[in-house]
Amino acid sequence: MSRGIGAVSHYKKPQKGLASSPILVNWALTNRCNFSCSYCYSRMEKNDELSRTQAQKVLKILVDNNVLFLNVGGGEPLLRKDLFELAAYATQLGLNISMNSNGYLLDKSAALMVKKAGFNNVGISIDSHEARAHDELRQMPGSYKRAVKAIKFLKETGVKVFISSVICRINFKEFDKLVSFAKELEVERINLHNYKCSGKGFTNKDRLDLKPDEWSDFYRRALIVQNKSKDMDIAFDDPILALLKKDKRNEARNPIGRILVKGSVCGKLTLYLKANADITPCGFIPLRIGNLLKDDFKELWAASPVLQSMRNKTPKGKCRKCKQYEDCWGGCTARAFAAGGDFNTPDPHCWYNPDGSIKLKKSKRSTQ
Amino acid sequence: MEKLTAKKIARHPDVVWREETEIRDKILEVLKRGEDDSSVSEQGTVSLVISGTIYQLNLLGGEIWKLSDGSLAVEGIADSLSSTFDIEKEVLLEDVKEFVVDLLAKGWLIYKDAL
Repeated sequence: MSRGIGAVSHYKKPQKGLASSPILVNWALTNRCNFSCSYCYSRMEKNDELSRTQAQKVLKILVDNNVLFLNVGGGEPLLRKDLFELAAYATQLGLNISMNSNGYLLDKSAALMVKKAGFNNVGISIDSHEARAHDELRQMPGSYKRAVKAIKFLKETGVKVFISSVICRINFKEFDKLVSFAKELEVERINLHNYKCSGKGFTNKDRLDLKPDEWSDFYRRALIVQNKSKDMDIAFDDPILALLKKDKRNEARNPIGRILVKGSVCGKLTLYLKANADITPCGFIPLRIGNLLKDDFKELWAASPVLQSMRNKTPKGKCRKCKQYEDCWGGCTARAFAAGGDFNTPDPHCWYNPDGSIKLKKSKRSTQ
Repeated sequence: MEKLTAKKIARHPDVVWREETEIRDKILEVLKRGEDDSSVSEQGTVSLVISGTIYQLNLLGGEIWKLSDGSLAVEGIADSLSSTFDIEKEVLLEDVKEFVVDLLAKGWLIYKDAL
């Protein structure tokens, strides 16, 4: 590359805090839900939801601030009667809109409405390849059957479908079977979300969350399955994957080399909106930084002390000794905060052992 | 290279992108003052979202990206940039070519007639 302004790599792994506003906003459009999932972060939320006019104002503010993507969830977004109207308005404004749903209310007619409203994709929650395990986690008999049907309806209308699965003690050993099931359903992608200790997830953490060594084992196996998958995207971004960076077998597909920022993306590229337009860094950090309808969004994004402290973390505890800190930035800030009330404490899922080397447990399990 | 020189360049329609206006303005200010602050000047001015992954382009890359609207070939892009960047035209043209070839290979840019 020759000299001159910009004569460095034109696209690069950018540094922290480089977005003028969030690129993606997740919005819990409603707290109402027809399910009561065992790890739900929002089931205990009590705040009001916005009127249609207020919700449209929110959409306008997001567009005016150059937000590119909006993902609506909840609660169950399909319980809002004006969901499709709001989605069509968002699409008309130029937002790329997607939705997470449990699929229970997504019949053929709703699938057509999803398509008509302009949703880019819909994530349907399925936690296990077995109906019994899924229904138990979701605490709703028949939910597995309805979720599978919803996927079929959406696919028939031409909507891109993702499967969203929360990895926990019930499904982590057989996640590869869940991946195979997702392939059978011919979805575009499966998102394997790590367990978060927020809301009911905190109450049930002892029963459902994995131990650090189990997370290590899971991610090592997941990376191998991901490497082998040619026909479906398998996504499971987690800052602590930086700990597996030295694992040559996984280097080629390790997401660390592909992501924009180090550590959590929350507060750096994304934000979370509650049903009443209160803003938090992410759905799993219950710290209100302002309200989208009442405060200056740009000002909050640039100067909120909470966001600033998430962007400028200081390692504490075992993180101070860890050579991977530069890449993982203390792991998931939400998990650290839930465990110790401090953004800077180590991620409780982290398996780094300061008394020895990073523990990389060898998997004996065959993965597909 | 003949094909590259003659053909008009366009952004792939599946790439969702935006300009980081405030960051761009900050970089231009620093450059105008003649300061050599790479912590500012190397920041991204255009964000691209491709298959769920976010990439950023630096100032020159971002300007090339914005001009890749299907109306110009590489030479036209370099000409347009010469009013903003104080760089010899030949050097600028080489920069533009290198960038465009790279992004054509990635599929983020395409030839307009492929649309």
